[in-house]
Amino acid sequence: MRLYPLLFLLLLVAGVLAVLVGSGDLADPELRDTFLKLRGYRLAAAFLAGAALAVGGVVVQGLFRNPLASPSVLGTTAGASFGGQVALLAYGVAGVGNAFVVPEMIVPIGCFLGALAALAVLLLFLRITQDLLALLLTGFVLSALFLSLSAFVTSMAQETWELGRAVVSFSLGSVSGTGPRQLAFALPLIGAALVACWAWGRPLDLLLSGEEEAQSLGANVGAVRWWSAIWVSVLVAGAVSVGGNVGFVGLVVPHMLRPFAGTKHQRLIPAAALAGGIFLVACDIIARVIPSRSEIPLGVVTGLIGAPLFLLLLIRLRRERAYA
Amino acid sequence: MRNGDGHAGLRARGVGVTLGGRPVLHDVDLEANPGEVLALLGPNGAGKSTLLKALAGLLPHEGRIEIDDVDVASLSPRARAKRISYVPQRSLLRSALSVEEVVALGRYVHGGSFGGMSKNDRDAIDHALDTAHADVLRDRIFTQLSVGEQQRVLLARALASDAPILLLDEPTASLDVGEGMAVLRLIRTLAERNHTLIVVLHDLADARSTTDRALLLTDGRVAEQGDTAAVVSSDPIRAVYGVKLIENARIGFEPDTEGTGTE
Repeated sequence: MRLYPLLFLLLLVAGVLAVLVGSGDLADPELRDTFLKLRGYRLAAAFLAGAALAVGGVVVQGLFRNPLASPSVLGTTAGASFGGQVALLAYGVAGVGNAFVVPEMIVPIGCFLGALAALAVLLLFLRITQDLLALLLTGFVLSALFLSLSAFVTSMAQETWELGRAVVSFSLGSVSGTGPRQLAFALPLIGAALVACWAWGRPLDLLLSGEEEAQSLGANVGAVRWWSAIWVSVLVAGAVSVGGNVGFVGLVVPHMLRPFAGTKHQRLIPAAALAGGIFLVACDIIARVIPSRSEIPLGVVTGLIGAPLFLLLLIRLRRERAYA
Repeated sequence: MRNGDGHAGLRARGVGVTLGGRPVLHDVDLEANPGEVLALLGPNGAGKSTLLKALAGLLPHEGRIEIDDVDVASLSPRARAKRISYVPQRSLLRSALSVEEVVALGRYVHGGSFGGMSKNDRDAIDHALDTAHADVLRDRIFTQLSVGEQQRVLLARALASDAPILLLDEPTASLDVGEGMAVLRLIRTLAERNHTLIVVLHDLADARSTTDRALLLTDGRVAEQGDTAAVVSSDPIRAVYGVKLIENARIGFEPDTEGTGTE
């Protein structure tokens, strides 16, 4: 079966299930509209976040020439999450906001700056070493750093009860409470960055052969790297701001797709956007149907699928490189 | 004939390169003309590959490198790559791109960043694959090819850019006799099509059979420069390598046109 018809079919199935499945009773005529609306927002948030994170994964894997890279592995997601928290804190404490500035607006900006800071550190690090594992370790350290900084921000926010709650619930990340305003801000951001990544597909292809060859083939390597980092930061910021603070999507989806869509960026990126959206919507349905006292966080489901795959890829890669 | 339309020559004056605080090239002058193959010779560590990369605009350098009186340093990466194509000894590509996709990378200099391939692009790719005898490899995955096959694909990628100047870094290294000979013959063919070629070579006999002029580097300086036949039998060669030339002593091979070979 051709790739795109299959993806659209899967999207249709996932979309219908996402609207029908859940703890609310759709038979109740009074609540039906509310449930449908909430599930619609939730579906849209999961799809957007999944598309953004999957394409973010494709781009960083090309950018760092590292098949194990993804926004969560490299600490970009943690950076975005931290940035969003700082933005919330600034909004609450310093009173940045007024009638025209709402948290839905400044959180994505904070997320963007946090994500870009994390990627900038990695890009600077790339000048020192291009070693595969060193890069992953740096990402790990960045993740740990941003998580501890986040903990600090969370504790600072506890001075006000409402702000504390807002920061904690943001850092936990969930698409279940995403509202129309968050979606309205994230949609153009993610949409524009997806198109930009696709448009940068050819220079990203060149970078797969390393800096020197890319340069000799006419790529402006520095510009490609920094612009790609900016697009990825926008994607991750958009995903985190609608509650997609989840790991491994950017790792799992590109790897599932490459056998069917190939490695060329302009072919892989649209497919990854679709498949990433479907993947996260499906994970969200799983999170809803697994019986538990309260709903299982989305990140747990993606983690359970992503972490073993990461280890598998690591083993396979070490084996391949050892005999290369 | 689509390749080598530009008939561009390359000229370098006083080129020096410093890597990691250590000067590795001093004051190199050279000239390469259309229809001509220039060999860069010298022992390991003499600076041959460094010189080639500097000429390709891949390393910061002193001095001036010109293509038909245009300073290479003033060109954008894309404008430079349209004129000079650099073929590395081995590609660092590890991703599963097909041969056709790899050769298509050479067309980046002609297209916009956006969108797909034009008919012009596809023709150039076909022509480049054909010239480099890599047509049969078209749908194979690049990383799964032999070293010799990869070398032909890298040459095709360089040809696809239609750049008049080609810089090749040890194109025959780690190839077997047949593969190496096919690459050397291709180099001659390209010179006949009026390309300007600068080739780093290890084998003095290959240099003599394939190149017109030669430049001998030792310790980052030009020790000898001139017709390849003269350079190969010169005193500096004897001093540099500790060998002397014995005329007609080498066992020779030539391509077996009836064999399956690499054609």
